[in-house]
Amino acid sequence: MPFAGIDIGSTMTKAIIVDHEERILASVIGPTGAEHRHLALKVIDEALQKASLAMEGLDFIVATGYGRISVPFADKQITEITCHARGIRALLPTVRIIIDIGGQDSKGIKLDNEGKVANFVMNDKCAAGTGRFLEVIAETLGLKLDRLGKISLTAEAYVQISNTCTVFAEHEVTSRLAEGASIPEIVAGLHEAIAGRVINMVRHLGMEKDVVVTGGGAMNIGLVRAIENKVGFPVLIPPEPLLTGALGAALAGHDFVRRGVTPDHGRRRERVTFFQ
Amino acid sequence: MEQKEQTKTTAVKGTDMARKVRGLVKNIYRSAHEAKAQGKKVAYMMVSSQYDEIIRAMDVVPIPTENYAGLCAAKREMDRFLLKAEADGYSQVLCSYARIGLGFDSLRKELGGIPEGAPDGGMPTPDMMLGSSAVCDPRYKWFQAAGRYLDVPTYSIDVVWPPVDADLKAVRDHYIQYQKEQFQGLISFMEQQTGKKLNKERLWETIRLSDEAWRLWYEIDRMRVAIPSPMPAQDHFSVMVAGYYYPGMQEAVDFYQSLYDEVKYKVENKIGVIPDEKYRILYGGGLPPWHTLWIFNYFESFGAVFAIERQYRAYDPVEVPSSVKDPVEFLAWRSFLRATQFYEKARANSGNPTVERLLGMIDRYAIDGVVFHACRSCRATTIGQVHYKNILGRYTDIPMMQLVSDMVDLRDYSEAQWKAQIGAFIETLAGRSAR
Repeated sequence: MPFAGIDIGSTMTKAIIVDHEERILASVIGPTGAEHRHLALKVIDEALQKASLAMEGLDFIVATGYGRISVPFADKQITEITCHARGIRALLPTVRIIIDIGGQDSKGIKLDNEGKVANFVMNDKCAAGTGRFLEVIAETLGLKLDRLGKISLTAEAYVQISNTCTVFAEHEVTSRLAEGASIPEIVAGLHEAIAGRVINMVRHLGMEKDVVVTGGGAMNIGLVRAIENKVGFPVLIPPEPLLTGALGAALAGHDFVRRGVTPDHGRRRERVTFFQ
Repeated sequence: MEQKEQTKTTAVKGTDMARKVRGLVKNIYRSAHEAKAQGKKVAYMMVSSQYDEIIRAMDVVPIPTENYAGLCAAKREMDRFLLKAEADGYSQVLCSYARIGLGFDSLRKELGGIPEGAPDGGMPTPDMMLGSSAVCDPRYKWFQAAGRYLDVPTYSIDVVWPPVDADLKAVRDHYIQYQKEQFQGLISFMEQQTGKKLNKERLWETIRLSDEAWRLWYEIDRMRVAIPSPMPAQDHFSVMVAGYYYPGMQEAVDFYQSLYDEVKYKVENKIGVIPDEKYRILYGGGLPPWHTLWIFNYFESFGAVFAIERQYRAYDPVEVPSSVKDPVEFLAWRSFLRATQFYEKARANSGNPTVERLLGMIDRYAIDGVVFHACRSCRATTIGQVHYKNILGRYTDIPMMQLVSDMVDLRDYSEAQWKAQIGAFIETLAGRSAR
C-alpha cells in the first residue's frame, strides 16, 4: 500500500512515496517554475519510476503547497501547514515549534502534545524574511545561494541590513559595500535580518522547545545559527529539510486510508499547461 | 486594454433585513443631497462620537464620511480618491478612510462638483464639519485637514474615558462634567451655525429613539448564541448602518424590530446561515475588509460561520441614573458608562476590558476560533490585536489567526495569502474537532 505526497512550493516541487509502514520508497526534488502543473506530473512520474510503481498502484495521493490546487492527479489537497506538522510529527516527535522558511513565505507552526497544529503564523505579502530575499541579494553580490551560509560563518561581525523590504535591502547592500563592509559581514547581516523578522513573527505563538527549522532556509547554516542566537538554544534540522511537507502529505494520505476516506475524484494524468 | 473585473466582491447575506440595508445607505446620501437642495444644513460627522442625537435634534442632516469610504471600497470605487489624496501629499500610512474623504473633497473642489460616477451620488458639500477625538487621532485632525478643500467651519469635540485602573468613583464626576462641557460647546456652535436653539424635549426624544434601537440590536445579538447561527458577522457589518447612522430616528427602531422578528424566527425554527455549520468563528477585531466582504462566504464554504464579532460593537446598553434630568448631562453620563462598562470585570480577571469582551463572547457563543483583521492604515483597531491574542491564550487554547490587509485600500490585500491562511486555519479547526 504505497502513498504519495507532492509539495508544490514557489520555487521547488517535491514528491515522496512511502509504503504502509511509512518507509520512504522514493523522493524527488525538482524546480517549480511557471508551468508547475506540468512539472508536477514530471516529478511524480520520476518518483514512481524510482519506486518501480505506476500511478494506479498508489493508494492515495495528497498535494500540498501553493500549487496544490493545480494537481489533477491528487486525491486530496491539504495546506502545507498541516503537512509540515504531520511530517515533523513522524520525524521529530518532540518538536513543538516549526519554523519553515520557504522560497516566498515563512511560517511558524505550533504543535500540541499530540503533534497536531495548535496555531500558526505566516509572513505577510512581502518577500523580506523569505528565501526570495536571500536569492535577490545573492544575485546582487554575485554569489551562489548555497554558499551564503558558510560565507557568513567566516564573519567576525555583521552589518545591519533593513528587514522591511527586499528592494530597499538590495540598495542597502550596495551602499554597505561602498562603505567598505566585507561580503561575509553583509551576508551575516542578511541572516540576522531574516532571523529577526521570522523570530519576531514566531514569538506570537510562544516559543517552546523543541524547535525545528525546515524549508530551504534550514539548508543555510548561517541563517540557522542566527535563528539559534535569537531563540537562545539549538534548533533541530531534519535530514531532508525540503521534504517535510511532501512527507507529511504522503503520511496524511495514509491517515485518510486508515480512516476509510475515499479519494475525492478520479485521477487525471493530464499534462496540463497554462499556455494551452 | 480593459481591466477584467472580479465578478463578486460583496458578501452574500444571511438575513433578509441585511439585504435591505443597501436602501438605508443610499438614503443617507440622497437625504443629504435633498436637504442641501432645500437649504437645510448638512454636516460631515464621524461614527461613535456620542453626539448623534444632538445632530438629529438640531435638524442637521449628517454625512458620515467614514461610511462613504467603506461604501467606495465595497463598490471598488476607492482608487481615484486614495490616489488623489496621496498626490496631494497625504501618506499611504494615513487612515485610508481619511484618505478617501480627503481625496473626494479634493477632487470635488478641482472638478467644481461631485466626481462623475461617485458611489450613491457622492457627498454634498457640507455646511459644517463635526469632528471628534473618539476612537483615534487621525479623526481629530481629518476635518481640520479637509479645510484645504472646504471653506466651512469645523468643530471637534473631545470624547474622553479614564484608564482601566482608575478609581471610577473618584474620577467619574470630573469626566462627566468635562464631557458635558464638550457637548455644550458643540451645541453652542451648532446653534450659531443653524440660527436656532436646541430643543431639549426634541433631544430627549432622539435619545429615547436611539436607546430603543440599540436595545433591540443588543437583544438581536443575544439571540445569536443559537446553534446554528441565525445571523453572521457580514450581516452585522450591514445592519450596523441603522445603529450608527440612524440613531435618534424611528427608522432605526423599525429596522431593528423587523430584524429582531426575523432572527427570532430563524432561531425558533433552527434556520442557520449555512446548512452544515461545523465551526463558529469570532471576528475578534479590526475594521472589516470592505473591499472583499465575500471572504466571509469563503469561510462558510468550509462550514465556518462568523457567529459574532467585536468590531462595530462598541458598547452594550447602559443604565443612566434616573436622577439625571438634563439630556446633555444624560449623554455625558451615557458616554462615561459605555466606555467603562467592562472595567470592573477586567480588573477582576485579565486586566484588559477588550479581552474580557472577547472571553465573554468565546464562552457565550460557543466559539471554535478567533480571526482578527489587521488594517495597515488603522492603528486604533489594529494595535493591541497581538496583545489581546497573547492574553486570550492564557484563558483559551482555541486557534486564533490574524489576517492582514486594510479596511479599504486594496493595495494592502493579497487574496492568495489570505486563502493560504484560511485553508490552514480551517484544517487546524478540523484537527481539533477530530480529537
